[in-house]
Amino acid sequence: MMSDTKASVVANAAPDLLNDLAGIEAGSPIALLRARRPEISGFIQASYDALLEPVDEAGVSRSERGLIALRVAILETSVPLVEHYRAYVAQQHTPSEIVAAAEKEELAAPLSPRLVAVLEHVDRLTKEPRVATPEDLMGLKAQGLSDAAIVTISQLIAFLSFQVRALVGLQLLAEGL
Amino acid sequence: MSAAKMGFTTNELDWSSWLKPVDVEKATPEQITVLEESNSRAKTSPYYLTLVHDTEVLRQRSRLFNAVMYGRDGLSRPERELSTVAVSRINGCPYCASVHSRLFIQLSKKPEIIETIFDKGVDDADLPVRERALVDYAAKLTRHATAMTPADLEPLRAVGFSDLEILDATYAIAMFAWANRLMQTLGEPVGKNG
Repeated sequence: MMSDTKASVVANAAPDLLNDLAGIEAGSPIALLRARRPEISGFIQASYDALLEPVDEAGVSRSERGLIALRVAILETSVPLVEHYRAYVAQQHTPSEIVAAAEKEELAAPLSPRLVAVLEHVDRLTKEPRVATPEDLMGLKAQGLSDAAIVTISQLIAFLSFQVRALVGLQLLAEGL
Repeated sequence: MSAAKMGFTTNELDWSSWLKPVDVEKATPEQITVLEESNSRAKTSPYYLTLVHDTEVLRQRSRLFNAVMYGRDGLSRPERELSTVAVSRINGCPYCASVHSRLFIQLSKKPEIIETIFDKGVDDADLPVRERALVDYAAKLTRHATAMTPADLEPLRAVGFSDLEILDATYAIAMFAWANRLMQTLGEPVGKNG
């Protein structure tokens, strides 16, 4: 069993993207509150790492992962996450005309047919998951995505919906403490 | 029956994958470890056997899910379940709503709360003040998170939710933004034995 003090030191020592994006400073009331759930902070960061910093890109490149995440952030109007994922795709050397096209409502060239299909999947999962059909997944398979790759991109898109809301909750709590 | 057409029920449902789940007989030792760590029934669940295609992501997601839903202090277990039922009702995930409404009823002995949420929807459901504050917070975070302000936490504080309980609720609500989307877009609920 960790004491509160020890837990907060551990939580503050590890990289924590949500703390960075919410502007949470070590020792602040919200940092101490979060430190009461150190395992949750750790698993959120580990989920991010598994999806955005994978050891094995396994059929979905980091550039594609970044474009997917960026588009969810735009659809959800999350300013800090849009900034974060713009920086992320820049780091992957994704061509700027591709990034610009992935940010537009209408998906078209210069995006490849594969990227169009992947980003359409982003729109469905983020905005209207209840109307998904098996045919939607056939469209992804037709662009060469394996079942494993479809699971990976779906997890990434759904994780972003989590990340947006967790970040907002932390920001609201931080302002009121 | 498609997810869009299936109504909300506390009956047990099955879930059928639109992808090819991993064959548990051919799974790697690592995949077996992650399945066993995820859920006691994962090795026979088409949902977990589909998600284990990306083993490392499932490992981290399950650790997070279990920490968010089964924490021992802070927000009570039934209130964690209630948050997730509200989110699942809004997002339209009958499978998630069925599992977590049963857990809520087992823990709280209050079936009438689920009944009114299923019948009337989260906005019009007849709820006691504490449940109303929690469900309203879940609804706002689900529908328009980035339009929220710190004033949206006041109704929770007014009925006695602590900061730690609000943090726990936030994680549970956000977790189901994630969980619902996978359940809804990688497969569909089917009636038990049918």
